[in-house]
Amino acid sequence: MSVPAYTAPDETSTLATCAFAVHLAASGPGPFPPALSGHAGGGEPRVLDAGELALIVQSVPAAAFAGEALAERLQDPAELERCARAHHDVITAAARTGPVVPLPLATLYLDDTRAVAAVREREAQFTRLLNRLHRRTEWGLKVTSTPGAQPPADRPAGETDRRRSPADGRAYLDRVRGRQRDREHRHEAAWRAAERVYAVARRTAVEARRLRPQDPALAGAGARQLLNAALLLDHGTEARLRHAIDQLSTDPAIADQARIELTGPWVPYSFARLDEEAATDGLQ
Amino acid sequence: MSGSGTDRRVDLDGDTVGRDLVALVLTVVELLRQLMERQALRRVDSGELSAEQIERIGNTLMLLEQRMDELRDSFGLLPEDLNLDLGPLGSLLPRD
Repeated sequence: MSVPAYTAPDETSTLATCAFAVHLAASGPGPFPPALSGHAGGGEPRVLDAGELALIVQSVPAAAFAGEALAERLQDPAELERCARAHHDVITAAARTGPVVPLPLATLYLDDTRAVAAVREREAQFTRLLNRLHRRTEWGLKVTSTPGAQPPADRPAGETDRRRSPADGRAYLDRVRGRQRDREHRHEAAWRAAERVYAVARRTAVEARRLRPQDPALAGAGARQLLNAALLLDHGTEARLRHAIDQLSTDPAIADQARIELTGPWVPYSFARLDEEAATDGLQ
Repeated sequence: MSGSGTDRRVDLDGDTVGRDLVALVLTVVELLRQLMERQALRRVDSGELSAEQIERIGNTLMLLEQRMDELRDSFGLLPEDLNLDLGPLGSLLPRD
């Protein structure tokens, strides 16, 4: 690659170009809402032409965004959140008028010329992605086990049994076995429920991919995230997905095991990765 | 063992560092206990044990569980306190 994605700005330059997203020149986002300010301390978000494509950028103080300074700032969760929100807000604003390929947080170029050159260099890839994302949005599908939905009846009973018949070693082993078997059955039923939800939901989607399960702490005490998936939906087909999810949610075989959560529409972050085109689990 | 545990509890109360350490140690003990239970079940299933041996192993494991419960109670810990979050790998001990 002749133009690196990131070049350390030299000492004399005071401004660098921070790129947010790439879109088709024909579907420009128009004027940004006045409240949209991008990263703190930077200039106003603006659009750079790159042939058939265009990219949304902002001038930022190079010193604050240079490799180490940025890494240090982003260690602070509050600062990271501010940066991520600023990044997301610009991308969301850009996505209102057409498909966008969001770029990673704090994608930095020495100047506008380099940013444009970097996009042009991968024009074919960007165009292919943008065409695929045209009139499509991402939806998030999460399935979480419901803790204690089917309380293991043997636990309390097992404890009283134990006190009453302290001499029966074999009975104890049988109880342990029963407990393990119950747990396995419960887990299996929960996974099966999640697989069914995924199988049904992806039928309504153009593309689907599984994401890494989120931090268990977010799922709540005792709950496990069974599925964390992203779906790429054609505009106007959300109703089909919602209907399918509603039906699944009321199916006792699933409702007893798991909770389904649908979020969206989102900018298709999960489907707009230049580097991961081959990894999608698509139906096309 | 539970006697000395009760004595020491007085010192550890309010001392979160000590309590965390106790929870960590008991978590490891609990892991070993659960592994022993599984191993015992496997041996019972394989049919290599006599009825007498099964009875004895079961009794031992039952006493071990009781002891573990007592020990945990004496430090004011709940069953769910004895676990480690291994991030993307899940938890050390199965959560129900």
